[in-house]
Amino acid sequence: GSGVKRNSHHLHAVGKGDPQVYAGQAGTPAFRVGDRVVVRDELPVLFYTRTPEYVRGATGEIAAVAYESPAAEDETWDRPDAAPEWFYVVRFTMAQLWHGYTGTSADTLQTEIPEHWLRAAG
Amino acid sequence: MTEHDHDHERTVAPMVDEITDFEVLEVALRELCIEKGIFTAAEHRRFTEFAEQIGPTPAAHLVARAWLDPEFKALALAEPMAASKAVGVDWMEPTGFGTPSDFTAFQILEDTPNLHHVIVCALCSCYPRPILGNSPEWYRTPNYRRRLVRWPRQVLAEFGLYLPDDVEVRVQDSNQKHRFMVLPMRPEGTEGWTEDQLAEIVTRDCLIGVALPKVGVRTNVITDTRPAVHPVADRP
Repeated sequence: GSGVKRNSHHLHAVGKGDPQVYAGQAGTPAFRVGDRVVVRDELPVLFYTRTPEYVRGATGEIAAVAYESPAAEDETWDRPDAAPEWFYVVRFTMAQLWHGYTGTSADTLQTEIPEHWLRAAG
Repeated sequence: MTEHDHDHERTVAPMVDEITDFEVLEVALRELCIEKGIFTAAEHRRFTEFAEQIGPTPAAHLVARAWLDPEFKALALAEPMAASKAVGVDWMEPTGFGTPSDFTAFQILEDTPNLHHVIVCALCSCYPRPILGNSPEWYRTPNYRRRLVRWPRQVLAEFGLYLPDDVEVRVQDSNQKHRFMVLPMRPEGTEGWTEDQLAEIVTRDCLIGVALPKVGVRTNVITDTRPAVHPVADRP
């Protein structure tokens, strides 16, 4: 399968790993650990997204600046011009995500969101 | 042809009564891919064998070693893929860039007396396969994926895990390239235990976060299920 165009990703990631193969390509991250962010809810999600519906519009806190990678929304269609961006582990308070949450007010949920889905909390 | 002109003793019975649509399609797809050079039969065999040899043992040993060795624990938290290598798991296998679906962004979530982690992939079934093996069936169900992110304490209670209110439950949804596993706390009553002894009580379920390691418990959670209303044995 070495001549197959579909294997080009494999060939450029060998020895580095994925997402390490995109390291250094997204520039300076817009957010730091501890920053308050809002998950944008105005972006269209036709056909594909990996940003869960349950966090859209919710405010969370950056728990980790994770890695650089093209967004799943671009990778899934194999867009060759997709620019890598920063991904973040974002921490949400359960009681803010779910109306009538039945656990404690300290319970949290973490999920990973690419930068274009986030804006600074106002 | 008479009824008895062949040797019954030597007749090979079919392995299955019926071949399912899924099996027909699997063979068609695999053979077409090999015919077209998308992958080779040897590569197919290599991936199958990779998938068959993975399991939760390396992850259990990683936890046991982290309990015994503070330096190794620091490495596990800071550089989890380097720590994985120490228990025999190279995340770059079997392709040289990791598996295509598990990626090479592994993170270990450390439990504390006031924090308990539990993992899920609400979008599908993402799981740290290279170090934990294949995901359990229930982990892939829409039921677990739908409910854990919203009612974690109820779901954990169904697994027999009741957490007090002073313990924060933190659900980690693996919805992108990171894969996660839980580093539970070392239970009491294990003083002086060896790495092998400790690893035995770190079950797959403890590494997902639906159970806590317990002295004397070496198997996964067996949940109480409602008995059948009309059990088969009752039928005439």
